[in-house]
Amino acid sequence: MIQMYHVYKTYGKDLEALVDVSLHIQKGEFVFLAGSSGAGKSTLLRLIFRDELPTSGQILVNGRNLVRMKQRAVPHLRRMLGIVFQDFKLLRDRTVEDNLALVARVVGLPGPEGRRRVAQLLKLVGLSHKGKMPPYKLSGGEQQRVAIARALMNDPLILLADEPTGNLDLELAVDVTRLLLEVNSRGTTVLVATHDLKLAEEAGRRTVFLKKGRIVEEWP
Amino acid sequence: MREKLKHIFAHALINLIRAGWGGLASIATIGMLFLIIGIFLLMVLQLNALVAKWREQFHLSVFLEDRITQTQLEILEKRIQNEAAVKSIAFTSKQEALANFRRELKGQESLLEGLGDDPLPASFQLKIREGYHSPDVLKRLSAFLSRLEGVEDIQYGQEWIERISNAAQIMKALGIIIGLILTLGSVLIVSNTIRLAVYARAGEIEIMRLVGATKAYIRAPFLVEGMLQGSLGALLALGVLFVAYRYVAGTFKLASPLFSTAAQQGFLEPSMMAALVGGGALIGAIGSSLSVSRFLKM
Repeated sequence: MIQMYHVYKTYGKDLEALVDVSLHIQKGEFVFLAGSSGAGKSTLLRLIFRDELPTSGQILVNGRNLVRMKQRAVPHLRRMLGIVFQDFKLLRDRTVEDNLALVARVVGLPGPEGRRRVAQLLKLVGLSHKGKMPPYKLSGGEQQRVAIARALMNDPLILLADEPTGNLDLELAVDVTRLLLEVNSRGTTVLVATHDLKLAEEAGRRTVFLKKGRIVEEWP
Repeated sequence: MREKLKHIFAHALINLIRAGWGGLASIATIGMLFLIIGIFLLMVLQLNALVAKWREQFHLSVFLEDRITQTQLEILEKRIQNEAAVKSIAFTSKQEALANFRRELKGQESLLEGLGDDPLPASFQLKIREGYHSPDVLKRLSAFLSRLEGVEDIQYGQEWIERISNAAQIMKALGIIIGLILTLGSVLIVSNTIRLAVYARAGEIEIMRLVGATKAYIRAPFLVEGMLQGSLGALLALGVLFVAYRYVAGTFKLASPLFSTAAQQGFLEPSMMAALVGGGALIGAIGSSLSVSRFLKM
């Protein structure tokens, strides 16, 4: 599903964010990308949703070559992806439901179908009763669950999560991880960047360790 | 498709309302621009109408000596007819001239008493072909005609027409220059208003890009907002101009028969009004594109 071949990413002259990274992630896999902050996790994710291009190397996502992809085609790539951030990126000026409905509009789900999908996903993340609330009235864990629901609105092939539990205390972090595993069990490929080794260990899934932009170790 | 259009227009309207004073400032500035363009346009149109009417009525009078013989008259008529510049020729005898004069003085015929039986000379009225109306050509023609036998004097009022025609040209040039400067200003003001709208929705735009919205999809509501600002400004200007024009035209009609043509000329034609509103929309679209493009590149 995701293939990276000898990927380098350098900022400016000598800031090496990624060095010779080769990574293969199968369809339906759940992979943790572990490392301290500054190890290159976020950069790697940004390359996958083509927020940036690698300095050299090749990246294939669902068979598409991101390096050769035209700017015009990027929206189509993104519709295959769901992305979750540490800071949730929920819009404060509208309700939880409307945050999700925005995606429905962008991907062209018509009104009734969009509403049905919003309700479905809020149920999946256990927040059906909070759909009419503005996001800032929810707890951090709840907000992250809303963000995950939003990332699933377009029924993505791949879910990318950048430190999804970074702002959460342990209990909520476990909760969110459980939700991500559930999403994976429904067939979505999931790639989670985290600095929380314990979380990755407990989940017992494949874990790739990044250090100073290089892959240094891999479990299992 | 309907969903998309709904999204575009709903957001454009919401943004415009949220823009508040900024939006009003944009509309007012564009209104000002179009008011000035409209004033110049109206003036140029009025002057052109005046010139056209005067040109149409214009004739060159060849006054004849009193002692001209019938034979001389016929020869002279043939000579004049052969001139390339002459479109048509009409003869007015002394009696007809007096009768015409009497008609013009209707009610004040007593003024004519004591002038004798035939105070007015006979004359030819020449209509001049299109393309021969320039002062130089007419001067040469009249010099030539005045040398012919039996001709007493030549009269024409062409210089006035040319002066007004020149004034219309200058007005047009001035209008274009001022219009261009104000257009640039309007584009910048709209661009600024839209920039604020874009920043206010920066979070939403980021999310939209992440979930795969195309640039066109993100851009469309802002484009429509800019176009709304532009066309509303132009409409505002047309409204103000129309009211002012009605008032001014009414006054002119009373004040001077000279300007009766101007009053009859009427307001701007529908096609021109449509062009102005379209121009407003275009200015708004350009201003909006400038801001959104810059933002989307970041």
